[in-house]
Amino acid sequence: MIVAARNNPRFRTAGLAGVLAGVLLAGGCTSGGGPEPDGQAPGSPSTSAAPAKGLQVKLVTMAKVPPGGPSATRAARQAAPGLERFLDRYLTAAFVRAAGGEAGWDGLIGLFDKPVRASARKQLDALSLGADAPKVSAVRPSRASARAVVLYGERRPAAATVRLAFDGTADTAQGSGQVHLRSVLQLLATGEGWRIAAFDSRTGPPK
Amino acid sequence: MRRGLTWVAALALVAALAAGLVVAASPRRPATAQDAPAVTVQRAHAASATPTLKRRVVLLTIGSDAGAPKFGRGGAMESGRADALQLVVIDTVKRRGSILSFPRDSYVPIPGYGTNKINAAMAFGGPRLLVATFEQLTGLTIDYYALTSFDGLTDIVNKVGKVQVNVDMNLRDAFAGAFLDKGKRNLTGGQALAYARARKTLPGGDFDRSRHQGQLLQGGLATFQRQVAEDPAKVMTWLGVIRDEVRTDLPFPELVRLALLATDVPASGVKNIAVPSVAGNAGGASVVRLLPGAYSLFGRLRAGKLS
Repeated sequence: MIVAARNNPRFRTAGLAGVLAGVLLAGGCTSGGGPEPDGQAPGSPSTSAAPAKGLQVKLVTMAKVPPGGPSATRAARQAAPGLERFLDRYLTAAFVRAAGGEAGWDGLIGLFDKPVRASARKQLDALSLGADAPKVSAVRPSRASARAVVLYGERRPAAATVRLAFDGTADTAQGSGQVHLRSVLQLLATGEGWRIAAFDSRTGPPK
Repeated sequence: MRRGLTWVAALALVAALAAGLVVAASPRRPATAQDAPAVTVQRAHAASATPTLKRRVVLLTIGSDAGAPKFGRGGAMESGRADALQLVVIDTVKRRGSILSFPRDSYVPIPGYGTNKINAAMAFGGPRLLVATFEQLTGLTIDYYALTSFDGLTDIVNKVGKVQVNVDMNLRDAFAGAFLDKGKRNLTGGQALAYARARKTLPGGDFDRSRHQGQLLQGGLATFQRQVAEDPAKVMTWLGVIRDEVRTDLPFPELVRLALLATDVPASGVKNIAVPSVAGNAGGASVVRLLPGAYSLFGRLRAGKLS
């Protein structure tokens, strides 16, 4: 009999309809309450409905130090917070704050070294949300990771190569979609802090 | 049949309850844009850029015969004789360049010291006087100099992991320790130095030697570019080696920008030019005299050309 029920489309449909009805019924029971003002039920774990997760770049740093300088391990540890802050600023300007297109790009362009700013401004689509920014209402980061090789001068970081990966979800009026960045950034320590002196970057679906 | 239907209905009820429990246990989700269908927000874009510097950069590279303890040569690099002299001219807009190789015995006016072999200028007044000598000779403004020694050259090559050079002749020079066959060769630090020094057994003597020194620079550029294409962090390796082995008046940020620019200047677009000259004699000493063609070349460079 069990075999017959399985093979009979009528019974299968009835079973699926029952499950569906049950799911709809149960769903109706749980969706009655509205969200908390912060968009998250009290005591519940963080969910995709929660406010955008804070951007946190996971950074792995290596250092190349001069003879007689600090140890490579110590130098890498010293350099990491500043680099992390810089990459955070970059991704915030390029994606999180760029959403809506109202912030403009001056903040992002200011993170580039002067001799490469004009090139960066012409190639924003490969470095940020770019021309898509106006149609995006929010970007929710899901992954930001970087590997850095830092070159020390006598006592402080002088230059660095950073491989940066960023993935997130962008919300638009038509729906949500993925945004991606994969970049190699050559950084230079200037009086104003780290600046991007050269780049090789792409956005869109990762290869 | 009736029992079968009852069984199916019971199963459906259990499944419905289970599913309901799962949903009820899930956090409440307000309707947001993420519930909307997935869309393509971002299309694929790719871009790269290196620094755009001023139109032309002129760099004097100097190999000193002093300051190399590993080779038994004491003293300071800056007060030695400049035995390898290349004027590197880079057009940063066209991303092309020239390496002008000068024989070390070129007999030229040295500001404040009469006329002498060009390699003596550094011994008289350090790299600054050598730069002034070159500026007076060529009429070009030299932006920076970069100075190293025998130790420096061998260490640079060994630390970056050999340099590929197009060796242009079979070499069997016991004086310099150069034993190389013609063709593309990956040279160790010792071999690179030997190639840069070999002179006595070469048909063109000092002329061949200065050409080989230019080839080493070309090979260094090509090796740098190949390594950086495979691993962009190699830029830091090379900069670290230069930081440790080269004395220069190039501010570090400019050095970084130039190195990044160099990744974008095809090695094939950098010519190695031996400055036209001929062997001669001055006061009983053998010297090299620059030919009129040398001064024409300097004139073309002043006019913005590269050869």
